[in-house]
Amino acid sequence: MKELLKQKEISILAIILLIGAVLSFVSPVFLTIGNFLDIIEGNVVLGILAIGMTLIIITSDIDVSVAAVTTAVAVSIGYLFTYLPDSWISVLLLFLIAPVIGLVMGLVNGLLVSIIEIPAIVVTLGTLNIIAGIVLYITNGNYINSTSFPKSFMEFANYELLGIPILIYLLAIVAIGTWYILKHTLIGRSVLAIGGNTQSSVRVGIDYKKVKLFVFAYMGVLAGIAAIAQTAYTKAVDPNGMLGLELTVIAAVVLGGANIHGGRGSVHGTLLGVLLLAIMQNGMILARIDTYWQNVVTGAIIVIAVSYDHISYKRSQDKLAKIEVEA
Amino acid sequence: MKKLYLLLIAALLLVGILAGCVAENSGSSDSEGEAEAGGAEGESAGGEEGLDIAVVPKLVGIPYFNASESGANEAGEDLEGVNVNYTGPTQADASAQVKVIEDLISKNVDVIAVAPNDPASVEPVLKKAKESGIHVMDWDTPADKELVDLSVKQVDDEEFGRHMAQKLVEAMGTEEGEIAILTGGLSAANLNLWIEAAQKEFDENYPGIEIVSEKIPTDEKQQVAYQKTLDLLKSYPDLKGVLAVSTPAPLGAAQAVQEEGLQDEVSVVGSALPTDSAPFLEDGSLDTAVLWDPGKLGYLTVALGQMLAEGEMPEDGQEIEGVGEITVKEDGKTVIMGPPADFTKENAADFDF
Repeated sequence: MKELLKQKEISILAIILLIGAVLSFVSPVFLTIGNFLDIIEGNVVLGILAIGMTLIIITSDIDVSVAAVTTAVAVSIGYLFTYLPDSWISVLLLFLIAPVIGLVMGLVNGLLVSIIEIPAIVVTLGTLNIIAGIVLYITNGNYINSTSFPKSFMEFANYELLGIPILIYLLAIVAIGTWYILKHTLIGRSVLAIGGNTQSSVRVGIDYKKVKLFVFAYMGVLAGIAAIAQTAYTKAVDPNGMLGLELTVIAAVVLGGANIHGGRGSVHGTLLGVLLLAIMQNGMILARIDTYWQNVVTGAIIVIAVSYDHISYKRSQDKLAKIEVEA
Repeated sequence: MKKLYLLLIAALLLVGILAGCVAENSGSSDSEGEAEAGGAEGESAGGEEGLDIAVVPKLVGIPYFNASESGANEAGEDLEGVNVNYTGPTQADASAQVKVIEDLISKNVDVIAVAPNDPASVEPVLKKAKESGIHVMDWDTPADKELVDLSVKQVDDEEFGRHMAQKLVEAMGTEEGEIAILTGGLSAANLNLWIEAAQKEFDENYPGIEIVSEKIPTDEKQQVAYQKTLDLLKSYPDLKGVLAVSTPAPLGAAQAVQEEGLQDEVSVVGSALPTDSAPFLEDGSLDTAVLWDPGKLGYLTVALGQMLAEGEMPEDGQEIEGVGEITVKEDGKTVIMGPPADFTKENAADFDF
């Protein structure tokens, strides 16, 4: 089982290394620390959201409202800035308030999915529209630029520890925390169990509703953190800036080896999926590929990556089946 | 459980009905109020009824169309006997826009001015409007030329593109060097027209300028423009300028230049709203934002709508109060509001859109 897990993430890693090798050959700037920090910092929001989405996809559900929830929290942050004093306490306060706002919206999704048992795609499609509508009504689509941000937040956004931007640490904390939850806590193991086989897991006494509620609530918290990261990264709040991001988030999770039918997925796999999308975005201009061909190349790499991953998964499944027969 | 469901459904219905009431109330009271006021004014002016002019944007709720809304409403207050009805879909959706126009036809307004999301899909409904005796015009984005009585354009596309190119060369301070072009999306017709014109300007008048890559799409998002510009700066260390077309793109490009501290090495010129770009204009990371005043465009649309309904046609060089001198093209019905407006560090604070 351990080898199986290893193998599926290795396949996507191999593709990343291959593309990386080609890119560093084509462009001298690709393999520089500065470029890598840029790539990672630019995809912190995508990474945080994809980690949350991984948990949901493992339980064979989906949340299409993530981008809308993140936008709603980001807009709330933008409005909060006018009330917060200019000190480090505000930044700390933000890290309390933003996840709570996200949590509330996540809980709404979670309650509808777990208690009333409406399919998650229907629920989140609904909340997506409700939230997007309210955001549009409140903001009128207005963009908030950095002039109204407190100085302490701008300092936080530009802060670097050991030459690495603070946002990258944020992603690392979220990733390690989620990995720990999945690997070493009861609720995390229940998430994987439910995704693997719902009926059996209920029979062994796992509270199905609690787990569903947990994954959506956790997604909400992460959306709140992602909203801080987004605001710190763009140094502006744009109510239309994350339109359609949910598709990229889901793509990253699936690229990272998670099974859309549930039961399979990991934090490090998802991070590799995010990295693959990020490197392709970055590499297109560095490799000086013509604009019109960029989409073709991106699409081709995604198809190749997913088929490669799936073929190796199927092979390992076959092996597994064989062993069972022999035993 | 069943009771709970029933209760929930009942509550939902109630909310729905209430929301409907509120919306209708506010809508009708507004228009009634205006109609009465307009009617009263109209009577005092000459015993006529007020003109109902409907202005339909691509969508409501974005800064650009909010600014044109306030311009259109201002015109409604300034001009006697005119009621302005500014209404549009909440998303840039062609079929939702058609529904809005259908509603306006059944309300029997006098003039419909539309900024079509998709010229082809509004064609049948505009035809229907014309058949029911409504004056049809387009603004901001052209509809089918045969259908409309008047077409109001903010700027001449050719002039706008060339103007941005000139501004970029001016900001770079040299007529030689590498530049890159960012665009909102590869399929946006107006952006493509501007970029073509800019490229023509570079080819004809500044042969020393080299465009390093095909135009680069940024999905109408600031953070995408920011990342692409970072990549461009790394990939082309000698880059001298960035021409960013579409309103979020210049902000992202300027943010990259600002973060890298390259304000003096790399010039950024693009089409952006002045309030959004203020922090970047401030330190020179964005050199010039070129656009037009969307408020004036709304104002002009209403003013021309009134002329149209009263049987007049605008003339080339005519002075429109509150807007300025307009240009009318050879076809007699395409009106150009005026030259593009430049927003710079010095004047950006004077605008409120």
